[in-house]
Formats: sequence, C-alpha cells, structure tokens
Amino acid sequence: MKSNNINKEIRRIIVVLVLVCILLVSLVVYLTYFQIFKAETVKMNSYNKRLWINEEKVLRGSILDRNGKILAYSEKEGETYKRIYNYGNLYSHIIGYSYREYGKSGLELKYNNELLNISKSATLNELRNIVLPNTEGNTLKLTIDHHLQEYSRNLLKDKKGAIVAMNPTTGEIYAMVSMPDFNPSKLKEDWSNIVEDENSPLLNRAISGLYQPGSTFKVITSVAAIESGKVGKSYDCSGSTVIDGYVLNDYNKTSHGKIDLTGAFINSCNPYFAEKGIEVGIDKLEEVAQKFYMNKSIPFDLTVKKSSFPNRSNLGKTDIAAASIGQGEVLVTPLHMAMIASAIANKGEMVKPILVKEIISPEGRVIDFNGTEVISQATDLFTANEVKNMMVEVVQRGTGKNARINGVKVAGKTGTAQNPSDKDHAWFIGFAPADNPKIAIAVILEQEGSSGGTAAAPIGRKIILEALNTIN
Amino acid sequence: MLNGKVNYKVPRNLLFMFELLALSLMFLYYKDTLNRTTVVYSLTLILLVYISNVLLIKITSGDNYIFLIVTMLVSIGVIMIYRIDPELGMKQILWIGFGIILFFVSYILFKSTKGWENWFLIYAMVSVVLFLLTLFLGRNIKGATNWINVGGFSFQPSEIIKILSIFLIASFYTNYDRFNKLKFGKYYLMGMIYLFVLFLFLQKDLGSVLIFLSVFIALQYVYEEDRKLVYINLFILVISAIAGYFIFSHVQSRVQTWLNPWKYIDTKGYQITQSLFAIAEGGFFGTGLGLGYPDFIPEVHTDFIFSAICEEMGVFTGIGIIMLFLILVYRGFKISINQKYKFYRIVALGISILFGIQSFIIFGGVLNMIPLTGITIPFVSYGGSSMLSSFIALGILQVASEELDFDEEQ
Repeated sequence: MKSNNINKEIRRIIVVLVLVCILLVSLVVYLTYFQIFKAETVKMNSYNKRLWINEEKVLRGSILDRNGKILAYSEKEGETYKRIYNYGNLYSHIIGYSYREYGKSGLELKYNNELLNISKSATLNELRNIVLPNTEGNTLKLTIDHHLQEYSRNLLKDKKGAIVAMNPTTGEIYAMVSMPDFNPSKLKEDWSNIVEDENSPLLNRAISGLYQPGSTFKVITSVAAIESGKVGKSYDCSGSTVIDGYVLNDYNKTSHGKIDLTGAFINSCNPYFAEKGIEVGIDKLEEVAQKFYMNKSIPFDLTVKKSSFPNRSNLGKTDIAAASIGQGEVLVTPLHMAMIASAIANKGEMVKPILVKEIISPEGRVIDFNGTEVISQATDLFTANEVKNMMVEVVQRGTGKNARINGVKVAGKTGTAQNPSDKDHAWFIGFAPADNPKIAIAVILEQEGSSGGTAAAPIGRKIILEALNTIN
Repeated sequence: MLNGKVNYKVPRNLLFMFELLALSLMFLYYKDTLNRTTVVYSLTLILLVYISNVLLIKITSGDNYIFLIVTMLVSIGVIMIYRIDPELGMKQILWIGFGIILFFVSYILFKSTKGWENWFLIYAMVSVVLFLLTLFLGRNIKGATNWINVGGFSFQPSEIIKILSIFLIASFYTNYDRFNKLKFGKYYLMGMIYLFVLFLFLQKDLGSVLIFLSVFIALQYVYEEDRKLVYINLFILVISAIAGYFIFSHVQSRVQTWLNPWKYIDTKGYQITQSLFAIAEGGFFGTGLGLGYPDFIPEVHTDFIFSAICEEMGVFTGIGIIMLFLILVYRGFKISINQKYKFYRIVALGISILFGIQSFIIFGGVLNMIPLTGITIPFVSYGGSSMLSSFIALGILQVASEELDFDEEQ
C-alpha cells in the first residue's frame, strides 16, 4: 500500500517534470525560430535606435556629378551631421533624402552603407568605431551631367512626366528627371503637402511610373516582323481596321493608303501594326519583347518597376492587336524605353543602365565602379540597322519631324498613348547621331492631351542638341 | 547520492576561468573608471564562489551540481549587470556575497532544526502579516505595489512568501490525514493560497500570481488525494482567468501588448519591442560584451537582463542559460524523488518548480512568447530580495538532497 502510494507520487512528479521541461525547451525552440525567421525584419524597424547609432558617428559621403560637381554633402552641426542638398528639387528622385524622421529614399537609401562606409556586420562597425572614431563615408560619383539634368528639368517645368537621357553604348545615364518633384532640403516643412499631393511628387516616374508605350512600342513589333521575315507585303490602310468586331483607329483616323513596313512605321499606322502583330503571332512578339527586357527586372542602382507584356495563354486577337501598338496590357517605364532606343542604336545590344559610376574612399581611392555590361542581345545587327533606318525616316519625314536637327542624323519614334484618363500621354524616344550614337533619350508627358510628335518630339530634340553640344 | 567518481574540479575550474576572463574584459571596457574597490570586490567574489564550491563538497553528502549551476548563473548575471552599470554591478556582487552566506546559514539552520512540517499556522500567519504590511506600507514601483521599505532598504515581501507558501503546502500535505479529520480541513490550504493570490492581485503583481498558482497546482496535482479538488481548482482558475481579463484593465493591456507589440511601440509596447530589437540584433553569437546597446531597454538590469545577455553574448548563451535552468530543475526533481521524508520531498519539488516556472515566465515574457509580467530571473537579474530568497531556497534544496536521518515518521 505504502510503496504503491510512493510509486503513484513518483509517477506524478515525473509528469510535472516533463511539463516543466517542455516549457523550458519550448523557449529554446522559440528563441531559435525568432532568430532565424523573424530577427532580420525586426531589426529593420525604424524604431530600432541601433540603426541610427552608426549614422550619427560618421560623416556621410558626398554625391558628385560626372564632372565632380558636388550635388549633396554633409557638414558638422553641433554634435550631429547635417545633410545638405545643393540643388533643391533637381535631384529629389535620383539622390532622394535621408532623414531620421522620414527615412531614406533614392541613392541615399540604396547606397546607405557605402555612403556611411559601414559593413553589414555590427561587430566590425563597433570595433572600427573604437579604433577609428569620427570616420568619413565614401563619395559617390554619378554618371549624371549636372548641366543636362538642369536643362532637362527646365523643359518639363509645370508638366507631369519624365525624361531619361543616356549613353546608348555605355549605359551611363546623363539625365533622369521626373516631374512633379519636391525639395529634399525642405522635407520637414513640406512633408504633409508632399504626401497628400495627388500628383505624387514622391514617385520617381522615370523608373517607377508604368505607362502604355503607345506607338513607340512599334519598334519592338517591327523587330519581330523583320526577324520573322514578314515585311514583304504592302498593305492598304483605310485609317481603321476591324479585328474580331472591334474597330481600331489610326490617330485622327488618317488613312495612309498603300504602305509597307517602313511607310507604316514612319506614319505610325495602327491598323498595319495591329494586323502585322497578329500575323507575326503572340509567341514571336513575346519572345522579342522578353529579349528587350519586358517582364524582367532591369538591373539598376535604383529599383526599377518591371515592365509588362501580356503573356497569358488565352490572349484574344484584339489583345494581340492592342499589344502590337503598345496599348492594352503593355506597360513600360521611361527608363526602359530609353534602353530600348539604346539597344537599336547599339547594334541590337542592350546595355545595363548605370547611375553610380564610382565609389571613392575618403582617401580618394576608387574602391568600386560600375562598368558597361551588355545584358541582352535584343536583336541582330541587320534588324537593328533596318529599324534604325526607319527611325531616321520618322524624323526626316514622318511623325517625328519636330525632332529634326540640321546637320545631325536623328533617329526617333513618337507615341501617343491612350490611357484610362481622357488625355493621351505624349512619347518620344530616339538617339543621335544615327550612325555613331552618342545620346539616347525617352521623353514622356503624362496626360498631355496632344500627340507625341507635337509635344514630346521638340523636347527630345532640344535635349539631344544640348547633349551633343555639351557632353564630350 | 553521488559518490566520488565525478571530477568536480573540471567544471569548477572552467567556471573560474570564465569569470576571470569575462571580468578582465569588463575591466578593460571600463578602464577609465576602474578603481581598487571594484577589483577587490570582483576578485573576492570569484574566490568566494570557488571556495564555496570546494567547501560544499566537503560538508554536504548531497547534490554537488546545483550550487555549481547557480554560481554559473550568478556569474553571467553579474557580468552583464556590471557591463550595463558598474555601480549596480558592485551592489550585485555584495548581494551575491550575502546570498552565498545566507545559503550556508539556511543550509545549517534547516538541517539542524526539526519540526518544520508542524508549523502550518505560523507560515500562514507570517505570510498574511507580510502581505498586509505590503498592502499598507507598500510603495508603487513600476506599476506594482509590492515593495516595502525597512530601515532604508526596500524589499519585496512576496519573494519571502514564495518560500513560506511552499513550506505551507508541504506542511499541509505532510499532515494531510490530520487536516482531513477537521471540518473543512482539506480546504484550508486552498483558502490560504487563494487569499495570497487575491493579495498579489491587489498589488497588481501578475507575475507572482502566475508563479504562486503554478506551484500550488503542480503540488496539488501530485499530492492531493481528493482528485475532485484538483479539477475544481483548475476550473476556478480558468473561470477567474477569463473573468480577470474582462474585469481588470491591466490584464487586458498586457494581453493586447503581447498580441501586437508593434502597434503600441510608442507606449505600452515600447519595452518589449526594445527587448526584441536587442535579441534580434545579437544574433546567435552576440555582438560581444560592451559592443551592443542593451541600455536602450528600460529596466534592462532586472526584468530584461535576458535580452541584454542575448544581444551581447548571443542567443547561444541565452539558450545556455535556459539549459542551466533545465538541469537545475531536473536535479531538483531528482532530489525530490530520492528524498525519503515527505516534507522535504514536497519542499524540494516546490522549489524546483518555482525556479523552473519563474524563469519560464520571464524568459517567455521578454521574448514575447507569452504576455509579459515583470518578474526577475532567479540568480541572474539585479535585485537583493530576489537574490537572497533564491539562495535561501537553494540552501533548503541542498539539505533536501542529503540522506537525512530524523527519528520521526516518514
């Protein structure tokens, strides 16, 4: 009886022991789980003061343009450092801002570690702080040309839209403007206005604005047509065509008469390209679009929204027709259109766009640089040349006449994109000189309400001319 | 119980090395403000720990591990506290010194006197008096009224009552048959414990409520012969937990903060989110002593010392501490099972559960695994009352680990 009782007691003690052990072991399991799966997210919370500790001890590096002009720098103000943006609104989307209250954006965000010269390991940072207090961050040297940037922004004043100007062979971005913009040095005063503004000045339209490319997309449709050898037949354009019962019009319903690919391209004939797209087939169109980096992430120093080309399996004829003329489900960013123009200019090779040219240590040593890199053989040399010649014709005698420059062979393509609002976007993409390209551009005027040839081409012309005259 | 074969020198010497290295690192870290007192205090502590470990093997025939485990825990704790605030570290060294002395005093006292199992009434009365004192003289610190001030020293009576209540429960179940003969005799204990819980609730000391109830339920589960009472007790608990949630706003607030601390990051969730930042920032290997920012957490030296340890010494050290408690609890249970006197068996079991549950509640709390209730980690957190009462409990556990020879009924 007695030993029975004892056994019962021991059994129960062991039950309690097991329970307590389970509790303690569950702590170990949870702690491990937390460390592996949650710690990274938790750490990045802006309430984590450790994130700011390093910042306040380091002189944040300067940001320079391609000619060494200082665009942003930091200076000591009492115990902390103050960030100074030399050109107000001009670099609001490229450089962005860095504030404890509002966080970071643009290059200030993407290159934070380089600007602060900190490594990812907290221990190394701490050790460095002990050994070398008051360190300085690295300097960023951009590919931006300050003069062209300022010039481009002035052309977009009081408009909504974006401009990207780049070197088509090296990928260096000379100017990247998005309007409306904001002043990073007056963020504290303007923050509520900026956030509430329905024109979203915080949005960098050049890389985060997705637009229908309209007729500028015919560059890609043409590449597909030429590559598949379907260019021979001439076509009788009556100003509109009916596809699956859906009427597709030309801009202003102009009828172009009997035309071939070049004629259709020069006059931006919608019915021709709609039917050509269906003839070439969605598979080929998609293949070419992919080679031009549609539906792919563009590698860049800032995060670029992915352009999209429809690749559903149940695409109807009207959808394919719309996609062929850059309407419907096709969406691109202005940077991407500049890259597409560059690829045509650069013998079919698409190069990686570059914004940060060099990272320079406080001692003046170049510790890292961005070199030219071909990211895609978008098309072959022959096709690129054919399309280039057509683009030259566009400016010579087609919709892009407003981009003509005396003595310089300019290649271009206009676009007038319908969108959910009742005002069309005006597009112009192009490059020059056509035979030895030095500059490629993309211009979009959002909801401009007039055609690409009238509104965007003159701006494109001015930038090309200025770039050719000033950048060497 | 454990005879000769194990070499205690190895862990003892390792502990000695650990303390020496960690303290030298801390001296280096605070080299500008280092003074002679600090060095003398620290070296005395290391020696005291070493000598106590040697001495204990000579005088006790019982378990030689529990004290070793505890000295490891106090070492990690005091080093972290010293790193956070050297002044508090010095005080903690004093508390540990007193604690070790009290360990030996309570060991000798508990071993040499008999009749502990017959003083149910005394335990009950002393506890009630202490509770009443807290209620009337208590000072409100950190939202809980559980401190009283005696001659310039503040202390938490609930720390002493924890041990008293274990004695209370043990004496009740040792004399179970006697109590059972009385009218309502078997409800005496439950009545007392619920009275204690009520007092603690009035002090808003939710952590202690949890500890008292867990220890009581566990012991009741093992020793209550009227199983109906166990179920009734559990039933009352569930009901009152639910009722408590809806009636008391401070209970609701704890639960809300637990469910989504990020929502209240500016206010009531501040402490717990700062704790999570620290643990996340430390990673498995920690930033290294002196290289983190544990002082961003309010009250880091008491309730949140575990987060500080995780940040600077790494999650692996955190896991190590949990494991040390696991071994301590395991040894405690083993002691209980091997003890032939019922009273000592229950006391050993109660103390082991106390250590286990208390550490679980606070570890789980700072990890946001369970709602946070502010209590200390036994032996690790800063604080006199907690340190002293924990060492007293350990002294009693040490006695219980021995083969006792009293000429009384088992």
